[in-house]
Amino acid sequence: MEQRATRADILAAIKEIPLLSPSASRLLQIASREDYNIDEIIEVVKCDSALTARLLKTVNSVAYGLVHQVTSIERAISYLGERLVAGIALGDSAKTIFYKKLVGYESPVGELWEHDLRTAIAAREIARHCHADLSKDLAFTAGILHAIGKAVLSDFLHGSATDLLTNIDSHDVRDYLEGERNILGMDHAEAGFELAKVWKLPESLQMAIRYHHAPQQAPEQYRPLVYAVHLGCILAMMSGSQSSDALQYHLDKNYTVYFNITNEHIAMILLEVNESVETIQAALSEGKELAE
Amino acid sequence: MGNIILGVGDLGATNNSADCVKTFALGSCVAVILMCPKTRTVGMVHIALPESRINPEKVKTRPGYFADTGIPALLKKMTTFGCDPHGKGFIVKLAGGARIMDPNNTFNIGKRNALAVKKTLWKFSLGAVAEDLGETYSRTVTVCVASGETLITSPGRKDWKI
Repeated sequence: MEQRATRADILAAIKEIPLLSPSASRLLQIASREDYNIDEIIEVVKCDSALTARLLKTVNSVAYGLVHQVTSIERAISYLGERLVAGIALGDSAKTIFYKKLVGYESPVGELWEHDLRTAIAAREIARHCHADLSKDLAFTAGILHAIGKAVLSDFLHGSATDLLTNIDSHDVRDYLEGERNILGMDHAEAGFELAKVWKLPESLQMAIRYHHAPQQAPEQYRPLVYAVHLGCILAMMSGSQSSDALQYHLDKNYTVYFNITNEHIAMILLEVNESVETIQAALSEGKELAE
Repeated sequence: MGNIILGVGDLGATNNSADCVKTFALGSCVAVILMCPKTRTVGMVHIALPESRINPEKVKTRPGYFADTGIPALLKKMTTFGCDPHGKGFIVKLAGGARIMDPNNTFNIGKRNALAVKKTLWKFSLGAVAEDLGETYSRTVTVCVASGETLITSPGRKDWKI
């Protein structure tokens, strides 16, 4: 395949991506710790008036169907859950990433955010079945972030999808990651990792982004989290994805070392993913319209 | 021309010749397309899981979610257009039921969906005249009443018809 851009071009593009807002950055730092307190989350949100308004509008949206209006930010955070609060802050802060039309993956606007949300919900549910002590909040946040590298590589991959899929179908290329590396010298997992370093994300989140398609390569202490995101991403693709790379990755069956998941569990998780994503998307969209 | 868009677990039918019925991004889900030539009605259901016993409550709000309840619900819906309640004379097409890249087919929801759909169709003595099931790609399916054609698209691939 023709070499389109170099690693240096991609690394230079990553440096041009806007940094996360201080609120989003701080919320991610807090939520990635196991011993955080909800008061810390409340403090950060209270100092960000736009985020406060957005959360109140979201929790009071028709999609959540609450009988009484929520007017305190403490109750809003408690109802939405800390993980969704961090996710909303992240989505708003990095709109250029999450809501970008991924031309290189032939994906419409909003597809990356929806895939990330589906992955986050699935990873959170998978975390419940972990043999080890794995934070559901952390799994959710890692799911939201895991595919940011696709937004980085998308423009560089423009027009490549058909050839790349032909090479996978003919078994000349193992999966979409290898196809990306053949074209650009870097895959989306590595590109996401580079962006995560620039954004100074906690190491656990960096590892989930870097190894979500190769969880066995992650450092041992992060593997339960990385496998949760790996499985979450696969289930998100099974539940539906409008992207050229959908279902073009391999399952690492060593997830059984960390999780006890049956086909029945998978069906339940898929049900939960579809239900939750509908509610959250409707609430976010309504909350956004009202906040604007 | 109007598009009737079906989400996961939705079902819909129309006999308006200007309409198309469409569902996006089937992964392991299966789209069951029923066409009644007598009344020129097209129906579709976007099935996510094989059996309703996993969540009977869901059946009340969205029967189309499951193969065993979705197909009877679609047949019932189509009777409002004057179609036979058992689907007599219907043309049936199926699409979806994709899998992940795993030779052992560990998470075989797509295959189980396809089998459950066929099993339910057999109860009505129905069988598909065309199907595009399995494989490892996402499918968006569109059926237009006027042409009766079933178009499948997938990002990065040429469109095809079944």
